[in-house]
Amino acid sequence: MKTIAVIFGGRSTEHDVSIVTAIASIIKPLELTKEYRVEPIYIARDGAWYWDPKLKDIKLFTSGDIDDFIRRSHPVSVQFDGGMTLVKSSGIAGRKQLKQIDVVFPAMHGTYGEDGSLMGLLEMAGVPYVGCGVAASAIAMDKVLAKQLAVGCGIATSKFLAFSKAELERDSAKIVKQIKSDLAFPLFVKPAHLGSSIGISRVVNEAELRNGLEVAAHYDNSVIVEEAVQNLIEVTLPIMGFADDPKPALLEQPMTKPEDFFDFETKYMQGGKKGKGKGGQKNGGGAQGYSQIPADLPPALYAKAEATGLAVYKALGCSGTARVDMLIDSKSGEVYFNEVNPLPGGLYAHNWKAAGISSVDLVQKLIGLAEDRARHTQQLTTSFSTNYLKQF
Amino acid sequence: MKTLQAWFGLYRPRYASVLVYMLQNTEYRVGPYLKWYWRTQDFSKVMYRRTLDQTRVAKLLRLALLAGMGLQIILGLLLIVLWRWNDLVAGELFGLALIVSYPLVWAHLVVVPLILGRELQTRPNERRLIAESKQIFADHPGVKIAVAGSYGKTSMKELLLTVLGEGKNVAATPGNKNVASSHAYFAKRLTGNEDVLIIEYGEGAPGDVARFAATTQPTHGVITGLAPAHLDRYKTLEAAGKDIFSLASYLKNKHIYANGESAALLPFAKKSKSIELYTATGSLGWKVKDIALTPLATSFTLTKGKRSLKLTSGLLGKHQVGPLSLAAALALELGLTEKQVKNGVAKTVPYEHRMQARNVGGASVIDDTYNGNLEGIRVGTELLASLKAKRKIYVTPGLVDQGKDTKAIHQQVGKYIASAKPDLVILMKNSVTASIQKGLKTANFKGEIRVESDPLDFYTNLEHFVAAGDVVLMQNDWTDNYA
Repeated sequence: MKTIAVIFGGRSTEHDVSIVTAIASIIKPLELTKEYRVEPIYIARDGAWYWDPKLKDIKLFTSGDIDDFIRRSHPVSVQFDGGMTLVKSSGIAGRKQLKQIDVVFPAMHGTYGEDGSLMGLLEMAGVPYVGCGVAASAIAMDKVLAKQLAVGCGIATSKFLAFSKAELERDSAKIVKQIKSDLAFPLFVKPAHLGSSIGISRVVNEAELRNGLEVAAHYDNSVIVEEAVQNLIEVTLPIMGFADDPKPALLEQPMTKPEDFFDFETKYMQGGKKGKGKGGQKNGGGAQGYSQIPADLPPALYAKAEATGLAVYKALGCSGTARVDMLIDSKSGEVYFNEVNPLPGGLYAHNWKAAGISSVDLVQKLIGLAEDRARHTQQLTTSFSTNYLKQF
Repeated sequence: MKTLQAWFGLYRPRYASVLVYMLQNTEYRVGPYLKWYWRTQDFSKVMYRRTLDQTRVAKLLRLALLAGMGLQIILGLLLIVLWRWNDLVAGELFGLALIVSYPLVWAHLVVVPLILGRELQTRPNERRLIAESKQIFADHPGVKIAVAGSYGKTSMKELLLTVLGEGKNVAATPGNKNVASSHAYFAKRLTGNEDVLIIEYGEGAPGDVARFAATTQPTHGVITGLAPAHLDRYKTLEAAGKDIFSLASYLKNKHIYANGESAALLPFAKKSKSIELYTATGSLGWKVKDIALTPLATSFTLTKGKRSLKLTSGLLGKHQVGPLSLAAALALELGLTEKQVKNGVAKTVPYEHRMQARNVGGASVIDDTYNGNLEGIRVGTELLASLKAKRKIYVTPGLVDQGKDTKAIHQQVGKYIASAKPDLVILMKNSVTASIQKGLKTANFKGEIRVESDPLDFYTNLEHFVAAGDVVLMQNDWTDNYA
């Protein structure tokens, strides 16, 4: 039986979302397969790692008992021994408990987890892991880089400008002037690296823009300002597989009014009740329950949006799974790439289920893809014999 | 280690509750309770699916058990003390024996009050009630329809109740209450103003149906099918058939309607030309055409001469067309209008856990977990075969009470499952799993087979296993006393 380590929590504003993703959408279906031994690894807000079967229970987190647990537990360390082994002090005569990991299933959202940091560590350890690699994760989590890459590949995006926090602190008036000159209201102001709609503002005038820039810079060192798409239809597309053969799920349409958008509160705390979209079959089983699956679009526009999503997935070199968000101008029929989420919350299992892939099948397929990638990587030649040292 | 754990299960504080739970789940019947008790290896795993229903009887029994067990332990300790301080010969051995044996002793002693209560109070009461009910039924002016058969009785009763109820004052035996005492309680509640009475006969042993008929004195009879069931008492299918067809003998083969799609029933039905057969091709002179099946409804057209009646029902499967056509035809014969029949059929929905479809995350899950016989498995798998699906999943633990033919019957279950060509078969692990697997292998089944050791866990987490476009058929479910 293979041992799968599910890593969640982390030093990120999306810490809590990660816990739910890990326990409800990954650990539960993995255990139901009865084919894997699942080891939960929780990264606390201070960055310490903990490994204990009790961490599979959501009640430990919802009750607040996690703080007591952390106080009583020893953090785990990781041994890189041609693979990845968890090492925990048992507290009895200095004995150590070891567990070799076969595959890692990251369930991290945001910084230090979804942004390539964790993937780099896992690459160094040489352990197969689920989801996008280092480069794709890093680019996807940087909204500026991702858009620049998309533009370079001929994929349409809405007009945008990007600034560092230092630039904003140095001369925010100049930046506001530049934004007003180059872009037209309404605008979206976003931290460049955060997901789950944290720190995002929709602004319609200069005063709101100043405030939005301040909020975004509070969360991130890099801020992106984008022109809002008119006659907006927002869609998102979960995709699975390698970049050379990606498989789309169903195009999903959040049930919002054009002037509305999902902030963190709407998306995760209110079950999407803020959205008041037009009629149609709402997805009742979704993680957030706020969307229509499949999106209610004319066939040609649906195909165009799906093709855009797949093109972005390929351009960024994603693998495992990712979700591509797009904005559609319903009048012009133009599809704009918005952003990529390299580890969608809850794996977007509700969408895959609507597409015919159960939660259990989804996690098994993702583990299979992780193992395939590791096999291919192992086949690559990574050393080259020279007489350089002898000449030194 | 497991044996040790099982042994400790006898001495756990909740052991008394477990015994009462076993009694409650066997409806306080001594035989099934003792069979379950002797079969159980680990009592810590018995009270699993549900908890003890805290009724007055359950509380009293538990209290009596705890008091008895406590007294036995005290007596044991007393004997040891007497041996230690008063040199009582072999006191320590008897004392220890009493202390160690209390779980076994009280598991058996608890049936004594049940036997006494049954023989001294319940049975005389029931005999009196049954005798009184015979007169009530004799005096009742309404049409009395008896429903008998190895399977499909409750569904047929509910179907007749719904369709005839559109135009008549109809009363039917409640739920699956179908033995003599249930008929007697039913008779007590009748007003005498009912137009139609529907009485379900739950055969369990030879002579049951003849006795029910003598008491309830039906004017019409429906025989829903014959299949191996209760073979622990009937021993053979022939014996079960004879008993069920004693209803036809009582009615002198008049106004008796038998399911023409039950192969085992046909040799009995063909003994008399006046027994009317109902099938998916028609009933009582009405012909069926244009049958359409979906995971949510069944529709068809009934025709007789120039008359035509398009009917749609919430009942699922082609096997429902025969019973529906009989209910409609009988309703018309009893004076209902075509509109009333149409409305009545439209109101028919699956009885709980009998071919009851529900949507789980876009998948159609057909719950047929109250189905407990081979014929039900046949029609269920036939329905699964006829439905379009992205992926077909079949789930069953197998059947219970199949007597000496258990192995052969479960191999047939395997063959029926294979004929539906599901992509995935999920079997709940128990004593018949190997026989079903053998049947699947014999029928050259090519799909995936998964054996689940924890049915409750599987049912609870079904949503994680299915996706949109899947059709899942779940047939039968073993309660704790069979698992």
